[in-house]
Amino acid sequence: MLDLLVFVLAGTLAAATPLIFAAMGELVVEKSGVLNLSIEGMMATGAATGFVMAKVSGSAIVGFASAALASALLSLVFALLTVGFLANQVAAGLAVGILGLGVSVLIGKNYEGTTISPIEKIDLGALSELPLLGKVIFAQDPMVYVSIASVIAITYLLKRTKLGLIIRAVGESPDAANSIGYPVVLVRTCAIMFGGAMAGIGGAHLTLSYTPLWAEGLVAGRGWIVVALVVFGTWQAPRIAIGAYLFGAVSLIELFVQGQGFAIPSQLMSAMPYIITIVVLAIISRNPRVVRLNHPASLGIPYLRNE
Amino acid sequence: MYSFIRYLATTSRTAIHQLALAAGLISASAFLSNAHAADVLKIGYIYPSPAGDVGWAHELDRGRQAIEEAFGDKVESMVVENIPEGPDAARIMNQFAAQGAKMIMLGSFGYMNDGLKLAKRYPDIKIIHASGYKLADNMGNFQTRNYESAYIAGIAAGFVTNSNTVGMVAAYPIPEVVGIINAFTLGAQEVNPEITMKVVWLNSWFDPSKAQESARSLIAQQSDVIFSIYQDTPSVVTVAEEEGVYVVNTSSDMKKYAPNHLLASMQISWADHFIEQTQKVLDGTFKGTAFWGGMADGAVSVESLSTDLSAEQMQTINEKVEAISAGTFHPFTGPVVDQDGKVMIKDGDVLPDGDLLGINWLVKGVETRLPK
Repeated sequence: MLDLLVFVLAGTLAAATPLIFAAMGELVVEKSGVLNLSIEGMMATGAATGFVMAKVSGSAIVGFASAALASALLSLVFALLTVGFLANQVAAGLAVGILGLGVSVLIGKNYEGTTISPIEKIDLGALSELPLLGKVIFAQDPMVYVSIASVIAITYLLKRTKLGLIIRAVGESPDAANSIGYPVVLVRTCAIMFGGAMAGIGGAHLTLSYTPLWAEGLVAGRGWIVVALVVFGTWQAPRIAIGAYLFGAVSLIELFVQGQGFAIPSQLMSAMPYIITIVVLAIISRNPRVVRLNHPASLGIPYLRNE
Repeated sequence: MYSFIRYLATTSRTAIHQLALAAGLISASAFLSNAHAADVLKIGYIYPSPAGDVGWAHELDRGRQAIEEAFGDKVESMVVENIPEGPDAARIMNQFAAQGAKMIMLGSFGYMNDGLKLAKRYPDIKIIHASGYKLADNMGNFQTRNYESAYIAGIAAGFVTNSNTVGMVAAYPIPEVVGIINAFTLGAQEVNPEITMKVVWLNSWFDPSKAQESARSLIAQQSDVIFSIYQDTPSVVTVAEEEGVYVVNTSSDMKKYAPNHLLASMQISWADHFIEQTQKVLDGTFKGTAFWGGMADGAVSVESLSTDLSAEQMQTINEKVEAISAGTFHPFTGPVVDQDGKVMIKDGDVLPDGDLLGINWLVKGVETRLPK
């Protein structure tokens, strides 16, 4: 039984990590008033780039850094389209997302189906040996802790810093932000690139730690979960993180329940993570005032500067 | 049948494939510009996925290499990989025809109808098609009897397990997969009647991360042998190696991904069939046939059996391999009962091929029910 608990709890932290990285990036992007639907493609690009670079260089840090860079560059294309040419954000996001999936295939072409040794889990000696807690809390890979730190940092950034206020102002009313002298285009472009970098890191966590191999289509829809998490988590970092952990936990419990041979249709079980995550997030976010307060008022609306 | 899986896998990944198509087209045009002497047999190959290190397209590509080795200068290959079923595949086929291909290998179930149209339009082009069921004078198809190798791998699993629990990771419960699970279970039960099987259905054609987590959950539930069914990546195999449990996989040999804990690989091999068909095309005697190749044909085999198996155990395994190859033993020989104890194959009877192709029940010993 203890084995199972460790499997679910430790697995949940790892499974949610790619989602959290990408969702924290997307949160900042949406808070600045831009809806970026290309997460799936940017995660795939990061996953492929991170894998190839880590394999070539032998360093996971190089892998993560180049994944962030590659996806940030890709998101620059999206920024150019939406912030520069004022293209429809939904259409541009879908297009760049598909582009990203294609780019990932191209980058990973010669590495299709190959494996890599995953990044080392931390070892705190006696602490990591503790029953249950040790494996769950003190023996994860470093990026798991970085992802948790990123939730705290993003919460602080958006709620407590001037930069966060500027980002939110740009997302609420770009005209007002512009009139008091904030560079809307620059803020949105930087937010988009930050979102791209975070999605890239999330993707790289998939190929460098969670599933240490590269195969085309490996992201398998996680980018779309991220988009849903941000909306259902009502643009609040802690709620988004709860959603991500819930999603990870339920998808692991599903596999366990199937193995136990309970007579529940496996199709229903496979749908469970989505159903439960959405229901729970909908319930904790049912207050319409909270939704209205947190929803960036100018989300998805192209901004044309009034000269 | 296996490429039917690929067919579904590709439709679910259409977006990716359509992009990857661009890459495919570039390589296509590169070789299409190579005009050669007229007496060379040009053979076109279409794969539904990239020919990676392991997996379905990799095995098709090994078949192509076997043809090239056997016939040398007499054949010329044109390969396009990662082509989704549908208009793109049809276009590539027509391009092959226009470029003078006289033989075409179609690597996926979903190419069937376009292939048949092509066969009717160009009677002089010979087509071999993976796992379809439609035939023409100039179009044949091929599939493998994977249940034979599954039975042998099952025996090995029955020998090595201590917990008497095997965990299986499978995509969807289609007949091909159900047949493999049943044969594997029957093989394991032959040497270890106490053994039980747990199955996790991924309900997804392609999700290596979910496959890995499934394997971990099965290991946490005391499985000490993991059976990775039609995972085109080494996802499950690497988890088994990491966790120190035995693993069996399908399609390709994955020994290098689990050097210490690979119990067996259920290898498929198209080389003999491809060479035979190419020879017939060269001789002008090609006629479309349905090929369902087993151990006797060299189309399936069990490779990389673990050295942890004792000499005695290996002898049992080898005897069974010989019996299956010689046709004196069929894995689905009665009495076989299903999960509810109902007799599905009577004592001494053998399940007919037709029933095997549509098998939709699991044998006793498999704990997980079929999703209905």
